[in-house]
Amino acid sequence: MKRQFATFLRSQNLTLAIIIVLGVVLLGVTSGGGFFSPVSVRTFFQFLAVPILIGLAQMITISVGQLNLAIGSIGGFAACLAGVLMADSGVPVAAGVLITLVVGAGAGFINGWLVVATRINGFIVTLATMTILSGAQYAIVSTRTISASNWMAIADLGRGTLLGIPLVFLLAVVVAVVVSLAFNHTVGGRRLLASGDNPHAAGLSGISNDRSVIVAHAASGLLCGVAAFISLASLSGVNTSVGGDWLLPSFAAPIIGGVALTGGTVAILGTALAATVVRLVDTARAEFQLAPAWVNFVVGAVVLGTVALGRAREVRDTRRAGAARARGAVK
Amino acid sequence: VSVSAAERRLARRHSLLRFVATPRFFLALIILALVIVFGAAKPAFFNGPFVIAPLLTSISIFTIVGLAQMLVLSVGHMNIAVGQMAAFGAMVSGITFQLFDFPLVLGLVAGLLAGAAIGALTGWLIARTGVNSFIVTLAMSFALIGLVPTVYSWLSTGSAFTTKPDGFDFLGRDSFASVCVAGYCGPDAIPIIAVAAIATMLLIAYLYNRTRLGRELLVTGSNIKAAQLSGVATGSRIVIVHALSGLLAAFAGFLLAASIGSFTPAIGGEFMLQSFVGPILGGTLLAGGYVSITGTFLGITLALLIRKGLELFGFGLESLNVLLGVILLVALSTDRIRTIRRRRKPSPATIPEEVSA
Repeated sequence: MKRQFATFLRSQNLTLAIIIVLGVVLLGVTSGGGFFSPVSVRTFFQFLAVPILIGLAQMITISVGQLNLAIGSIGGFAACLAGVLMADSGVPVAAGVLITLVVGAGAGFINGWLVVATRINGFIVTLATMTILSGAQYAIVSTRTISASNWMAIADLGRGTLLGIPLVFLLAVVVAVVVSLAFNHTVGGRRLLASGDNPHAAGLSGISNDRSVIVAHAASGLLCGVAAFISLASLSGVNTSVGGDWLLPSFAAPIIGGVALTGGTVAILGTALAATVVRLVDTARAEFQLAPAWVNFVVGAVVLGTVALGRAREVRDTRRAGAARARGAVK
Repeated sequence: VSVSAAERRLARRHSLLRFVATPRFFLALIILALVIVFGAAKPAFFNGPFVIAPLLTSISIFTIVGLAQMLVLSVGHMNIAVGQMAAFGAMVSGITFQLFDFPLVLGLVAGLLAGAAIGALTGWLIARTGVNSFIVTLAMSFALIGLVPTVYSWLSTGSAFTTKPDGFDFLGRDSFASVCVAGYCGPDAIPIIAVAAIATMLLIAYLYNRTRLGRELLVTGSNIKAAQLSGVATGSRIVIVHALSGLLAAFAGFLLAASIGSFTPAIGGEFMLQSFVGPILGGTLLAGGYVSITGTFLGITLALLIRKGLELFGFGLESLNVLLGVILLVALSTDRIRTIRRRRKPSPATIPEEVSA
């Protein structure tokens, strides 16, 4: 059973990897090799960091059976608050970085605490905090765009590369590795998965489900904070639009990557690969000069397809297992 | 055995007490208080054609949006795509007017059918795959966010359908002042569009109170296993309720287009949050199995009244968002307390489950 599951995960990752290779080859051919130019490669990875991070942020909440609608507004608010403080109040750049992380983790913690304390559906709690934070984001920056020239040190970091790979992408990879280690090799991570898989059983084995929910939301918020920092580093400025289009990608990456919506599983590599596929769709959209709306359409359709396929596979597997059991009983 | 007058009085007082404890009564009180405060602070608030009529227009449209959400909430589902279904239905109506010169009613019917079809597809996906309604409607909303503006840019110049059939402006922009019988005209503060909202509310109330389908929807929402065991075809009920939700969303989108005078891809952009605020403030349970139609209307009215108040006092729209979020959290905490109290009653209701199980 366990091995079957592992094979399934591997095959999902394999499928995604094949899609990525095909997509890269296709893009390379249609752009006449332009897609492989150093600048193009750098841009590709530069703007892959945020999708991976928000996908992981959503994955963590899904792993405990929650969801986080506020991902975009936490990130947007954190980036704008840090931006405004650095630009208008002369807050040093290092403190600005700290602010994005603290605001992100704090907002996530509040989400988790509200879910636990009020027992309100996590959907509504994060819908409400999403509204509140996006209102607050608009309130602090209104219609202006705060230029990245106010935080040159961060922007320089955003432009930095190591062997042609942008540092911000490497940062996202490091975060993904840390998340992976946390889920696979720490007691806290296993507790989150136990709570997500079967809260009742987890509670009976002495795990605090409340703590799992709070930890998951706080960690999710922290990753949004990191994504906010990367936005500060790689965008030419921040305004109210930061975070506005994070919601669908954040769900698309874990769902396409093979994370069960009911909780209890994570797929870090799958999430990262799926985020790469979404990024490829976006690049192709730019390459063929289609309207940005197309990306939403394609990604929405792919998510629907993945969800339907995954469910069909699950039904088939349980039927097969049932048939096998029946045969065994007859013998 | 005849019931004594005293007992009857007691029963009446009891039902009155029960009404006072509902969120509807509370909402009505707040609304009344706000109207008095706004009216006292800004006498311009009572200006019929320029303040009250636009307010009632948006209340009418958003009440229908709230009902579209309430329908799916009644089976314990949610519809994140309510705004995009509205955009889709309105787009189809707009196309029939612009490209095929349909008369008003035919174009409206085409839009409603399109909304119902997209809703039915969503419901079918949910019932068939058993996946959480949140994910399916979220994915559907993004598929439509991608599709609708693309179709607009293909088929129209300037991304809007501007052809107006006869009666379009009358429906969306006129008030009863232009309805005159024997020399007497109606008040200019009540828009024609209110009729559409009232009719929709009555129909939905009829559905839930008087029809078998309505009761089956509530049973499905309150306990899907019990519903299946008592012979309700829950799968088809889920498809029907999502189709109806899509239909109402499309109707709201059409009315919004009528009130602004053209069909644009931006229709429905503000629907999602409001669609949850109305039913939830009004006492509809997120878990399913209980709806309140007047509550939805009052919840929407309160939200839009606050918005109007903020406008009148010169606050920005961002403070509205912050306020709505806070109100949602506070209202839901009380909703939670209500559910707990309900469970403590002699025959405890079982916890309704999502269909995804």
